[in-house]
Amino acid sequence: MIDKETSRAKAVKFLFLGLWLVITVFPLYWIVVTSFKKPGAIFSYPLTYWPEVFSIENYLGLFAKAQFGTYVVNSLIVATVAAVIATFISMLSAYVLARFEFRSKGAILLAFLATQMIPSFIALGPLYLLMTQLKLVDNRFGLILIYIAVCIPFCTVMLRGFFENIPDALEEAAMIDGCSRFGALFRVLVPVLKPGIVAAFIFNFVNCWNELFLSVTLINSDANKTIPTALNGFITSYNIDWGSMSAAAVLTIIPTMVLFAFASRYIVQGLTAGAVKG
Amino acid sequence: MRKSRATAAIGLSVVTGLALSACAGGASDGTVTLQMVESLTNPARTEVLKSLIADFEAENPKITVELISPPTDQADQKITQMLQSGSGVDVLEVRDITVGPFSTNGWLDDMSGELEDWAGWDDLTDNATKYAKGEDGKVYYVPYGFYGLSLFYRTDLVKDAGFDGPPASWEDLLEQASAIQDPSKNQFGYAFRGGTNANSNVVAAIEAYVADDLDTENAFKLKNGDTIFSAPEALDALNTYFDIFAEASPPSSVAWGYPEMVEGFSNGSTAFLLQDPEVIATVEQSEAITAEQWSTAPLLTGPTGKAAQPMATAGWGTAASSEHKAEAAKLIEFLSEDKQATTFAQENSLVPIVKSAAESDFYKTGPWASYVTMNENPDTYLSVTQPRGSSWWTEWIQKSDSEIQQVLIGQLTPEQLLEGWDEYWTEKWKSE
Amino acid sequence: MTTTTDEAGRGQQLATPTPPAGPSRTAGGHRRRTFTVRRGFGLLGFLAPAFIFVAIFIYYPMIAGSQMAFRNWNLANLTDTSWVGFGNFLAVFADPAFGKVVLNTVVWVVASIVPQFVIGFGIALWLRRKFRFRGLYQAMIFFPWAISGFLIGILFRWMFNSEFGVINDLLQKVGLIDTPIPWLADPNTAMFAVIVANVWYGVTFFAIMILAALQSVPEDLFEAAALDGAGKARMLFQITIPYIRTTLALTVLLRVIWIFNFPDIIYGMTGGGPANQTHILTTWMIATTQRGDYGRASAIGLIVVAILLVFTAFYLLSMREKKVKA
Repeated sequence: MIDKETSRAKAVKFLFLGLWLVITVFPLYWIVVTSFKKPGAIFSYPLTYWPEVFSIENYLGLFAKAQFGTYVVNSLIVATVAAVIATFISMLSAYVLARFEFRSKGAILLAFLATQMIPSFIALGPLYLLMTQLKLVDNRFGLILIYIAVCIPFCTVMLRGFFENIPDALEEAAMIDGCSRFGALFRVLVPVLKPGIVAAFIFNFVNCWNELFLSVTLINSDANKTIPTALNGFITSYNIDWGSMSAAAVLTIIPTMVLFAFASRYIVQGLTAGAVKG
Repeated sequence: MRKSRATAAIGLSVVTGLALSACAGGASDGTVTLQMVESLTNPARTEVLKSLIADFEAENPKITVELISPPTDQADQKITQMLQSGSGVDVLEVRDITVGPFSTNGWLDDMSGELEDWAGWDDLTDNATKYAKGEDGKVYYVPYGFYGLSLFYRTDLVKDAGFDGPPASWEDLLEQASAIQDPSKNQFGYAFRGGTNANSNVVAAIEAYVADDLDTENAFKLKNGDTIFSAPEALDALNTYFDIFAEASPPSSVAWGYPEMVEGFSNGSTAFLLQDPEVIATVEQSEAITAEQWSTAPLLTGPTGKAAQPMATAGWGTAASSEHKAEAAKLIEFLSEDKQATTFAQENSLVPIVKSAAESDFYKTGPWASYVTMNENPDTYLSVTQPRGSSWWTEWIQKSDSEIQQVLIGQLTPEQLLEGWDEYWTEKWKSE
Repeated sequence: MTTTTDEAGRGQQLATPTPPAGPSRTAGGHRRRTFTVRRGFGLLGFLAPAFIFVAIFIYYPMIAGSQMAFRNWNLANLTDTSWVGFGNFLAVFADPAFGKVVLNTVVWVVASIVPQFVIGFGIALWLRRKFRFRGLYQAMIFFPWAISGFLIGILFRWMFNSEFGVINDLLQKVGLIDTPIPWLADPNTAMFAVIVANVWYGVTFFAIMILAALQSVPEDLFEAAALDGAGKARMLFQITIPYIRTTLALTVLLRVIWIFNFPDIIYGMTGGGPANQTHILTTWMIATTQRGDYGRASAIGLIVVAILLVFTAFYLLSMREKKVKA
């Protein structure tokens, strides 16, 4: 290490990082504290920054009143399957879009980008009819199909950016060694690109995990509901059930946090030693 | 590469598995499955509804009811998609503000045929029958209850401020709320509605001021056919009403919608709240104020001592596209019968649709007493119908809410507000 | 090896846009053609799954749905849905609120994205180097991304509540303010509040993207630069940023599109109020759908698409020009 950090630079760095941590975590803290307050104590004034009585009533209620366990399982299945498949498909298309020149390339990219600009309510009517005809209304598989389609464009564009950061020389070397394109992609590029791919997967997962609009429209029964629909159910026109909602939010955040914690290792893992010595 | 193929294979088999499991179900042994969708969803109500449905299924073993409970904010959009696609819904929650558009679009079944011989008609209150049968005798829905305003107030604060009892009129409210207001102690007078649906309370105030000349069948009209907004009394109403905001309400209530108002009252920081009866249950759960500290009073009156109670309602109807209309009618009849209707109304703090319930003790005591008072004095508390079925009603809500906020932040004067509203409704009625 | 030579190398190799230019090093005269055909199919095979999904589940419904924008499509009465040409668009342009809403949208996008980018970049740079508990730190600060926009909206609505919100309470405890600020009741502070919530939410995205991109900058480059005696700032602007330029440019572009199209927070916090002062195009569109006017709402939606397409085209063009210069 040649560029050592001075202690002042370090102090600035940790001060900044610490400040941002406080800013980021405070709302989380607030949700957690709220979730452990007794339902009636949530709006007591003056505000209390610590529950006077710790109560898990809100959490128990979630599983007693709502089938929260089912929703969690549904969300996990839908988000995981959709994110895995979408990441894989996007990797293929991103690879082509990063590595080859062809006439319609700009148009394809723009067409992918354009999907991010379209308000989903415009598509909702025809989509609902389509899913009705396919008999995929109130069906997790149907939701997965749509989520895959929703994730692909953004994921492709994002992964393409990562591919472009990698020198061509790498896979050319592999191809000279006798790998096919496909082989070069998976044996050489994927390991190098692990951070980008993991990041892409996480974004896909989180987008599916939080998606509300399509899920509400296409899912009917409790057995197939995902978490955001259930969360939104705590907002009624009369009231917001803050206790239940905070408890549900905490439970919702935990899996994504675990995923982040697990995946962040890969995101910062850096290039595999010797991979880009070329 | 081999590894990735394996991954793909696993992925594929998971997907197929899901698809197969999802396709299970669906019987052809003569049983009928009804899809029922609610719109004003809230978890507690859904529980009540589920238990009533279970009773229905026990009585009718050949009918299964699948209740669909979308979050209320997205419910209308979803119901619209279902109705437009013509599939997936048999019984649905129809509200006074959706019945117009839904029936115009041919999405609702006229149930007058199916319900012709229903024995339950005689048990319904006059209001329930009136709303069920509509003007032309078509039955698009049977109400499950009514909403109506009453004044929630803090007995202790009113007493401490030196008043004998709750305010009876809007002027009284201004006086009492101003006396109680003390921002330095985070104590405010009135839980003002400046956010979503701000228009409802503004209109209630105007109607109280013009009550003597009010057309009760269309409470936006005066007896002479002009709009209520054109009456000189309307400006008095607005001046008092906006004074209540300026002198006796939390400044942030410009943005207060339903949840903020209810919280503002149940956490003890405001002394008065004008709301629907469902709030009773919420306030009862409050730990900040005890049962002795609050009660309800009848709706506030205008200078002539009268108030207009706008009736709002919702109920159950059948989709025109339903293939099981007879079974759907059976379910709606069941839900509207004495016992079930009473349970539903009591559990959800609604004004009931059946006569017998109104006579029960439940509706004569505690916070409900003010509703009885209002019912027993129909000449003081006029029961009126607002044009909530108009096709432009939601447009009106948005327009009026936004303009009220403009007045509150000083971009519009009350005079301009009334002038605009008068023009708006005059135009709309002309083009009707 | 630096990026510029890398780009140049690729540019040469793939200069001609159509297939005939196979990888020159391996292909020779006769073999080139067969390879090309195979490659053509290969390309298609790689792109096909993405195309199929996007075409069926996004483009088909979206194009089918777009017709609403050109028809009298009002839920209040769907018995007459006649074609009205550009009538809905003209009605949108003629709406007195239109100018204000567009202005708000621009403010919302710019004022959100600049702090998001700066803070996100800073965090990414500082997280590049290992320190104790870095993994834990990352997991903690990534958490806003794990919550849905609507939940953030209502969460911040309560935190910004003037009388019983925690933000005023904290500011008063610290002594920064004497009396509570009615954040969401005043048009100016309301816009500020929704942007604060959005910045809080969006920094994570930049941090992750940039951090992931930074991992592809080889350490050798830094070492070489350090040997040259390059200062910190120079290293940042001359090595780091050029190296991950593609990612940066794309991330910013995607964020602009998303934030433009992101009604959730505003919808949850203010609903566009007070008095429409915080409406952006997409919340305005939602409000329009809520009163049943799907025709006009779709028109607003297509206007959004048009604005973003034009912006994207210019943005990409300007990026390309810079590339050529480099």
